[in-house]
Amino acid sequence: MIWDLWKKSFYAWENATADYLEEVLKNPLVLGPSGAVLNGMMKLKAKKQEATTKWWSSMGLPTKHDQERALHALNKLESRLLDMEEELWELKQQKNQEQAAAE
Amino acid sequence: MLKRLTNLLTLKRRSREKQPEIGSTPADVVHRENKWRLLHYRPRTEGPAYKTPILLVPSLINRHYVLDLMPGRSFAEWLVGQGHDVYCIDWGTPTGEDRYLTFDDVCETYLGRAVRKVARSSETGKTHLLGYCLGGTLTTIYAAKHQEYLAGHIALAAPINFHDDGLLSRWTRTETFDVDKLVEANGNVPWQLMQGAFHLLRPTMNLSKAVYLVDRAWDDQFLDGFVAKETWANDNVSFPGEAYRRYIDELYIGNKLIAGEFALGGTPVRLEDIENPTLVLAFEHDHIVPADSAAVLVDEISSDDKEVMRLPGGHVGAVVSRKAAEHLWPIIGQWLADRDGRSTPVARAEAAE
Repeated sequence: MIWDLWKKSFYAWENATADYLEEVLKNPLVLGPSGAVLNGMMKLKAKKQEATTKWWSSMGLPTKHDQERALHALNKLESRLLDMEEELWELKQQKNQEQAAAE
Repeated sequence: MLKRLTNLLTLKRRSREKQPEIGSTPADVVHRENKWRLLHYRPRTEGPAYKTPILLVPSLINRHYVLDLMPGRSFAEWLVGQGHDVYCIDWGTPTGEDRYLTFDDVCETYLGRAVRKVARSSETGKTHLLGYCLGGTLTTIYAAKHQEYLAGHIALAAPINFHDDGLLSRWTRTETFDVDKLVEANGNVPWQLMQGAFHLLRPTMNLSKAVYLVDRAWDDQFLDGFVAKETWANDNVSFPGEAYRRYIDELYIGNKLIAGEFALGGTPVRLEDIENPTLVLAFEHDHIVPADSAAVLVDEISSDDKEVMRLPGGHVGAVVSRKAAEHLWPIIGQWLADRDGRSTPVARAEAAE
């Protein structure tokens, strides 16, 4: 009984708080600075990465981006091969159909 | 009361010792490409009862097993049991090189191949397509361009109108939010960042969940489901960078899908080109995809056979809860069954064209 009563008041509080927080999180006065902080962090991260990349490539070693680009190209190649396999399959089916129709 | 207390005190040990049987419906991998896999759930012993298979497309940022949560709480298992031939895409875990993966790669190349593979496996040469959340946005875009393989399309809590009053829409349209910087710095957008954003959608959610847990702790079945759901909720994947950039820039900020300005493979995607049977499902308490944002699809398409249903429930609970098994799943099952005989059989070779 007491538990049920507590639960009811908890859910009422939870709903009201969630609605209030939603309004706060929608407020441009909160969103603007939050976005700016996130941007600052991302800029810093990108700069750090750039420095690491420069140092790495100055030693003549492939950078993380080089490796990622190469691996992505391989994945693209795999997809192109699968596309061609599909096209071949379609042509074969078409040919079989034409043959069956001719017979 | 005693059981509730014992269950609560042993919850941590319980989840450690008895791992939830997530994604356990027997399935075979019928295709692999890059990180994604096409799963084919093994049909029931007496074989499928319907001619047209169904392809389930989950969101890119969540694990596919939300649609196959655990025995008795699995949508895929339920569909198989009803006699459907069920396929599902597992998008896998993107790694560094997938930062260059574009929206076109995912929607046109990967989803397209999955649809063709499933359609060719059926005697009708067509498949039903069900997209959940972002998966529903992908299937909608695909359906607008390629109807030849589709017998029907179900958009489940899929965002279509991105300029809504939801928090995600507001955040992404904040002037100081720079998606380019985010992608440049991270490559793939880290799941931790996205999970943090989802938590902020309702910051009191964890407290609320804790109270609900205490309230239902006497129920072993509930606890197993709770642990499985939490396992899934904390098992997220990062978003491929280039695809994310376009998703935010053109869909969230530009709202180009509804404006008819979004393009796939260089050609425009027009929602009015969707003429296949379409079922749109939206949830009234969905904080991630507001109901209006999902429901609007039905007004944009030109299909003669279209229906929108607004159901109670939230974004995840409405799909995987015990109530879902009683309400949502039968609605989808019936919709699929009703349209099974209507799909025009076409020769497999024609379907391949």
